Amino acid sequence: MSSSSALRELQHELETKANDLSKLQKEIAKNHQVRKKYTVQLGENELVLKELDLLNEDANVFKLIGPVLVKQDLAEAKANVRKRIDYISAELKRLDGTLQDLEEKQNSKKDAVLKVQQRIQALQAGKAKA
Amino acid sequence: MRGKNPCHLHHDELEAVLYVYQKLRKAEGVKGTITSLSSIFPVEEAQKAAKRVQDAIADRQKELEHLHSFISDNINLVNLVQKLPDELFHDVMVPFGKAAFFPGRLVHSNEFLVLLGEGYYAERTCKQTIEILQRRGKFLESQVESLKANLMDLKAEASFFDATAAEAAEGLVEIREDYVEENPAEKMPKSGLSKPDSSEAENVKLVAEDEEYARIMSRLDELEKEELAAQSANEDDDEEAETDFGCSINQESFDDHFKSLELRSQVLQSKVKTPITTATKEPLGGNFLKQDSSDHPPLKVQFEDSKIHYVPKAYNMEKSEAFGKPLSVSKEKIHAASVSTIEGFKDTVIGHPEVTANYKKVSGDTSSLSGSKTSFDSSKAFTGSIIEHAYNSQTKPAEQTVTSSQSTCSRPTKPVSRFKMQKGGR
Repeated sequence: MSSSSALRELQHELETKANDLSKLQKEIAKNHQVRKKYTVQLGENELVLKELDLLNEDANVFKLIGPVLVKQDLAEAKANVRKRIDYISAELKRLDGTLQDLEEKQNSKKDAVLKVQQRIQALQAGKAKA
Repeated sequence: MRGKNPCHLHHDELEAVLYVYQKLRKAEGVKGTITSLSSIFPVEEAQKAAKRVQDAIADRQKELEHLHSFISDNINLVNLVQKLPDELFHDVMVPFGKAAFFPGRLVHSNEFLVLLGEGYYAERTCKQTIEILQRRGKFLESQVESLKANLMDLKAEASFFDATAAEAAEGLVEIREDYVEENPAEKMPKSGLSKPDSSEAENVKLVAEDEEYARIMSRLDELEKEELAAQSANEDDDEEAETDFGCSINQESFDDHFKSLELRSQVLQSKVKTPITTATKEPLGGNFLKQDSSDHPPLKVQFEDSKIHYVPKAYNMEKSEAFGKPLSVSKEKIHAASVSTIEGFKDTVIGHPEVTANYKKVSGDTSSLSGSKTSFDSSKAFTGSIIEHAYNSQTKPAEQTVTSSQSTCSRPTKPVSRFKMQKGGR
């Protein structure tokens, strides 16, 4: 009876671990999505900066804030875009770090799950023999 | 055969085949493992992977389409922007809300508020707008290119997965020699049947090569030994020759001369005839040489191997000995010097009637020697040419001293004597 209770415990453990793993995987997927969004934004910002650099000093630049277009200084707009690019790059780096972290966690979780599975199998085999 | 469960049927059949195959391989001494493809790549997994890749391809394709639509939009926009400033104003329907339009008029047809992205707008003219749009078009095109490359990669991957999945599904069992074991052996990722043949053939070839190599090496060894023996013999001769210069060197050199002449005579036979007659008329040179040749017999052994190295030496000696002696003796009367030597030679000739006979013998010996030892012939021929030079140089000092008195006599003597010798040799 002890073996069967142990088995049940192990199965419970396996379940929790599998849940953790799936959670991690979800997080990773989310991270990927966010990353993708940021990379797209980075590309867009770089394009904008390029265009702004090509503009004349006296060109009128507007920024759409909500429903209204607000006139902006070109230099200000450029500075804003640069800031935005910096921010996005920093964010991407941060995301990379967290992604690595998550993947490591995921791997360790996977290993743990496999171990538990093996133990369950061993137990079941022992049971079958006995 | 292939019902609902093709794997099973195949396995039953294949296991027997594989067993036989494995035995064969073991007999050949080739280590190999047989792994069914489906065990490495489970059918479902392979299919899943293939499906995933196909999905990715579909995604990329969609993106590509998207990009293409962007590009076409961009082109249309460029065309539109190009046309707008053609007119001062345009009558248009202005959208109002979701479903309403009202007629309006588009004025300021050369003023554009261009969205640069991220909520930034810039006021631009038509030209400037077109420039911006064209830059955007280029960017889109580069994106399309990268996407296409990506797509190609994915397609290759997909075809691989598809093939694997199909093979695994068919229950195909691949016979594989393990990668690590494959390398030390030969290159043999081919089929099992062709491989042993090729390896055997290679082995045979290798063996043959080895044998050939050994043969060549032994032959080389032999040749080397021969060479060494010949060298040692030469050295011996060298020593001997140096020990008794007095008489031998002179003769030796003449011997060499002989041989050369013998050899040359084959070429010069026609020429030889005329000088011979003159030679007989002038017995001086002939005698002189004959006398030398008469001393031949003791030399025979030496001259066998007498070679180029000490030929010059010999000639030096010759100069001093053969001509120095008589000259020194008759220094008082230079005029008589040559005559006396000649006379001396004459005397010897007279004193030894068998000289000519000896000479002939010697020449016969030399010819026989040359005939028997072909390998020396070449060297002789070589020596001959060298000796002739030496001989000529030798004649010069002799002439210098002698010519004054008997130029008419001695000059023809030398060449004549040579031919005379030749005649004797023949």
